[in-house]
Amino acid sequence: MRIVAGVDIGNSTTEVCIGEFEQGKSVRFLSSASVTTTGTKGTTANIHGILSALKDAMGKIERDVSEIDLIRLNEAAPVIGDTAMETLTETIITDSSMIGHNPSTPAGAGQAAGELLSFDRLSRGRSGTPYIVYASRDYRYEEIAAAINEAAKKLDIVGMILQADEAVLVENRLDRKIPIVDEVKRIDKIPDGKMAAIEVALPGQFIRMLSNPYGIATLLHLNAEETRTVTPIAKSLIGNRSAVVIKTPNGDIRENVLPAGEISLDAEHPVRISLDEGAEKIMKAVNSAGKIYDVTGQENTNVGNMLRRIRKGMSEVSGESDAEVHITDILAVDTLAPVLISGALAGETCLEKAVGIAAMVRTQQLPMRQIAEKLSETLSTRATVAGVEAVMASLGALTTPGTRLPLAILDMGGGSTDAAIIHEDGTVSLTHQAGAGELVSMLIQTELGLENRYMAEQIKRYPLAKVESLFHMRMENGEMYFVQDSIDPRFYGRVVLLTEAGLVRVEKDVPMERIREIRREAKKKVFLTNALRALRSVAPDHNLRDISNVVLVGGSAADFEIPEMLMEEFSTYGIVCGRGNIRGTEGPRNAVATGLVLSYGGEKR
Amino acid sequence: MQVSQELIQKITEEVVRQIQSQKGAGSSYDANGYRKVVAGELGEDDVPSMAGRTRINENKSDYSAYRKAEQGTDPKEIVIGVGAAFQREIKRTIGGIPLDEVIRNVKAGIEEEGMTPRVVKVLDTSDVGFMALESAKLAGSGIGIGIQSKGTTVISQKDLYPLSNLELFPQAPLMTLETYRRIGQNAAKYVKGENVTPIPSVNDPMVRPKYQVKAAIMHIAETEQLDPKLGIIEWEGK
Repeated sequence: MRIVAGVDIGNSTTEVCIGEFEQGKSVRFLSSASVTTTGTKGTTANIHGILSALKDAMGKIERDVSEIDLIRLNEAAPVIGDTAMETLTETIITDSSMIGHNPSTPAGAGQAAGELLSFDRLSRGRSGTPYIVYASRDYRYEEIAAAINEAAKKLDIVGMILQADEAVLVENRLDRKIPIVDEVKRIDKIPDGKMAAIEVALPGQFIRMLSNPYGIATLLHLNAEETRTVTPIAKSLIGNRSAVVIKTPNGDIRENVLPAGEISLDAEHPVRISLDEGAEKIMKAVNSAGKIYDVTGQENTNVGNMLRRIRKGMSEVSGESDAEVHITDILAVDTLAPVLISGALAGETCLEKAVGIAAMVRTQQLPMRQIAEKLSETLSTRATVAGVEAVMASLGALTTPGTRLPLAILDMGGGSTDAAIIHEDGTVSLTHQAGAGELVSMLIQTELGLENRYMAEQIKRYPLAKVESLFHMRMENGEMYFVQDSIDPRFYGRVVLLTEAGLVRVEKDVPMERIREIRREAKKKVFLTNALRALRSVAPDHNLRDISNVVLVGGSAADFEIPEMLMEEFSTYGIVCGRGNIRGTEGPRNAVATGLVLSYGGEKR
Repeated sequence: MQVSQELIQKITEEVVRQIQSQKGAGSSYDANGYRKVVAGELGEDDVPSMAGRTRINENKSDYSAYRKAEQGTDPKEIVIGVGAAFQREIKRTIGGIPLDEVIRNVKAGIEEEGMTPRVVKVLDTSDVGFMALESAKLAGSGIGIGIQSKGTTVISQKDLYPLSNLELFPQAPLMTLETYRRIGQNAAKYVKGENVTPIPSVNDPMVRPKYQVKAAIMHIAETEQLDPKLGIIEWEGK
């Protein structure tokens, strides 16, 4: 009788599986454990983690670590991944031609066009001209309302622009209701005497006139040429609840396309592609390039800097010099980043096009043998490096009830997405792809404009809810949940994450529905793209229909929604796909460790 | 000082012993620790005893002509409960902001967000937590704001336990009119069920030693004006 331990050192966790072999009988699994990996994967610092995992696993069956006869380590995949993001466009307003604005509480409804008139020059107004009056925060709302009511007897005042957040306060005190836009911070930049148009949408609706180039043309009497120049203005106002457009002779709004630069793929079929063309084109180029030897970016451009940053980061991890680091795969994803518009009057932000890139670097073989030697020294048992990670994962995945050969696995981790297929004859084909959980976190962070990555990771991991009273909350799927005891008032009215450790507040003024949408989109963009890409590259003749079973393993397979997303996608190809359940008990984790124990049985025979 | 389990137990025993001995003597304390009137000492009046103490304000305001505050029914209504000395004996916060402006800004914040404010004066207690909670119970929306005359403010909700709150602004000397405006807006956002972002507040460790005496005197001046017979009254303006 021999006791064998399989040890899988991953980027974030170290997994252990203990199995017992008796003469002539098949393996019996005794125990398993999982601890956080100590140190960087593949270094001797991992030993501490391995020891505590072994102790933990043997402790569960009340036996001692010294009873282990053989320890089998995985040959870790020699890849590391990194991510970077860069915006591609920039919106610039010159000469205050526009205020595209979305204050939380504008007042009134409808649109109006008129000449701009400063509040302190109200007495200079002429009757018969429609005016849009603007007032700074030096005036109180009572004062403004009283003066406007008085002036309205002689003047035609059609709308107002306020600096303070007081639109509703003023409107409530006006005799004749007009649309009012407030919270315009740089009111001092508004040019007196110029034509302007303002619009406030009805509750629950978006503006229609000012988000339409012809609407602006109608209100401001523009000719065909001028209408063409306001198109970017109209575009940037789509989805706003209120807006102001000011017509100035020289005013302009530009969408600057930044010199994003070109990516060069040094591959079987070398390609150069500009980053401006978007993620889809880039990925097409990557897919058709064949085997990639290295990826570089044009010097002194955004993408050049981005790839250099990744290279530098990777060389620090792997300890190789910059020149020796070769990026062998990239995943590009389109995204939108909220960026402050330069020259804006109200501090508006605009969603700028951006691209996120995950890159993967093939490093020299990780020094697993050293770990094995050190381990056998410490425990005075035999320790060997056995088997390639992906192959072991496939073997482990086969213990999921209901699977059969040929079996494909998708190992979705933090840095890379790996795929492997075991055919009936026992041959295995495998691939490593850049882009996984970390890229998803980065996309969430960017699109929500979060300050730190930690919050983005929490949002990625847990479902949302909105606390609606001290006794109930609305889950993101619409379900109402009444709690047993009352909810802590700190969470009253807040959007929260439902974590194992209780509720966590999302400190960001974004509705729950939007956060959910961003989270799901980010996961789809990364994992759907990568799953299809990875499986295509390992499938016989690159045809997905030749795969019948896909088992999802790895950290991201434990996610609460990613497996379902993939399942939906793969069902269109007639593929059985689902979260793995290793040995029928472990869920998607422990596949590699289980595989290591199983393969020992195979070798013995 | 190290606080050990033993020490806490000792203190607890001591406090219990004192309370019991006082009970024997015929006096009692209310929930806030204020000494309640001893029957027979000051007649039937239920006002905190001033026997043997110097009053800060000789006269006590008479609110008996005011209407008793009613239970609100408008779901948009937020009740602001102000302290007993508010806008009368005390006209400015501890930081020197006129109380007229304070109340105006809180109301404006509520109105800007589309909700309706109602102001009441709480004569039952000068504890800001209870003031806010009692106001919340009167509000049609269930959200209330308590403002002490010295400026300390609490936003509460009718279902909360007395000592908890939705938001507390304890450092009154550091508050500005902008803060009061935002308090009104946040209270309204709780009613609307919007995602509320906490108001950034300044914190200064020197505030306590600097203002402790002034705060105590203002609090006493407020407590003097309590009139539990009247409870809570409608307080529109002055």
